[in-house]
Amino acid sequence: MQKPAPLGYGLGLRPIYFDEIMSTRPPVDWFEIISENYMVEGGRPLSMLDAIRADYPVVMHGVSMSLASTDPLDMDYLAQLKALVDRVEPAWVSDHVAWTGVHGLALHDLLPIPYTSESLAHIVERICRVQDYLKRQIAVENASTYVSFAASEMSEQDFVREMAERADCLLLLDVNNVFVSSFNHGFDPVAFLDSVPAERVVQFHMAGHTDKGTHRVDTHDEPVCDEVWALYEHARRRCGDVSAMIERDDNFPPFSELLDELQKMRDIDARIAAERALSAA
Amino acid sequence: MKLSDFQSLFQARILAGPGQDDAPLIAALRESQRGAAREELLAVYQSGYRARLESFLYEDHPGLRAIMGDEAFEELVREYVETCPPRNPNARWYTTGFPDFLRDHPQWRGAKDALSMAVFERAIVDAFDAPDAAPLSIQALADFSPEESPRLTFTFHPSLVLLELSAGTFAAYEAAGQEETEEENAAEEAGAASPSLAAGGTEAIVVWRCNDESAFRELDPDEHVALSEAKAGRAFGDICQMAAFQQSGDIEPERLAQFLASWFGDGMIVGVSCKA
Repeated sequence: MQKPAPLGYGLGLRPIYFDEIMSTRPPVDWFEIISENYMVEGGRPLSMLDAIRADYPVVMHGVSMSLASTDPLDMDYLAQLKALVDRVEPAWVSDHVAWTGVHGLALHDLLPIPYTSESLAHIVERICRVQDYLKRQIAVENASTYVSFAASEMSEQDFVREMAERADCLLLLDVNNVFVSSFNHGFDPVAFLDSVPAERVVQFHMAGHTDKGTHRVDTHDEPVCDEVWALYEHARRRCGDVSAMIERDDNFPPFSELLDELQKMRDIDARIAAERALSAA
Repeated sequence: MKLSDFQSLFQARILAGPGQDDAPLIAALRESQRGAAREELLAVYQSGYRARLESFLYEDHPGLRAIMGDEAFEELVREYVETCPPRNPNARWYTTGFPDFLRDHPQWRGAKDALSMAVFERAIVDAFDAPDAAPLSIQALADFSPEESPRLTFTFHPSLVLLELSAGTFAAYEAAGQEETEEENAAEEAGAASPSLAAGGTEAIVVWRCNDESAFRELDPDEHVALSEAKAGRAFGDICQMAAFQQSGDIEPERLAQFLASWFGDGMIVGVSCKA
């Protein structure tokens, strides 16, 4: 395993902020793109991406690899993804512990799986094939889920850890997803974070979600909540210097509010670093 | 249950939406620790699927929504989502089949104005991320001698399409955009009529991409003929003769020169060559 160097503090690149980013060159260390939004033939998406890539590191985050699907891997999709990888030269490429459809359909959602030995063997085999095809390790993200299955034979955290070890892949640790799923399924989010193989974690996702009372939904349309900030601090203490970013996909605030959230990350990390320095003194 | 069987069942229940047939899947779900009904949790996926796909259609077809009215558009969108599950892993392509769906729809197949708007909006979306090509300035003509000018042919930007639409489509689209802006400003006047199309007739529209944005404008009949022929690869001299013939001599050579200048100026032309 060759873990890429940390990039610092990043944001999800969304078209609504293109012009502001281009005109102000904000203090963001790197950007994450949704790969599929740039798997097009030309036009503004690609020209803006090229312009931003010229000045910032970029990582590619996909939502349609459907790693857990029992359909055959979509080689046309992977070929387009590889072409974009060649163009962007991202620091890394990621997708999810999820499936998006079977029987030739793509439902454009990250769907849950039972955590069974069959599911584990299946997703490990597909991650390995994708990594062979792309000729690079990929980072795989824990998804938010709203249902869990009686057939599951292991916890999500055991599934993710085992998957990463067997596939020798990197991990994208979505701290908000850990919180959302832990709330929905009643597990301890701190225990989840403590079980993650820290040496494989290459990136943190931070985002907001919607509180529906009896369950939480991963909507990316709110600021990061206090509980998730607390988990971020725990994850940071455990995983060390990992690239971290804010995802926002709806109810878009002024760009400055996202920069404020990045600053909050920096402040937490500075405090942790200061505590460590003092305790070592 | 094998993973493949589980996924078939789960997908079938998303596609069908909440109902009694959810029972076998519900039985396979664990009880919520928070008191949420399992049906409610499954519905997060079932309703999210529909809301997501419907939002793509709303985003791409504001003009069609304006001329059909909210209720009819909502119903049509709902039918499309129920009838046409997405097959492309890239959500950008989900709305591509919407004009054909409208064309084949029992209630709307005769609604030329609605189809015209759907086709127009499809072209605008497609132009936005069509393949790239660098536009030429009119200075490109300086590479050719005056004797070669009748044999010049032009290559147009890959995004450029010519449409023959129901008369009034362009104006209705612009009015819909205006109405949307007004709604956003909460300044819509009570009782304002939806944009409507003039009865009968057609209009020619060119859609292309200019400076990274989709662009479109109406074409006069003579420019439509000239641009159609130029796009088909006919030499400039032939177009001059054809235009003169079709317009019974009314069209002046200067007008064709103006068309050519505007095509260059608008970033439509990406190649010039001289026919042997």
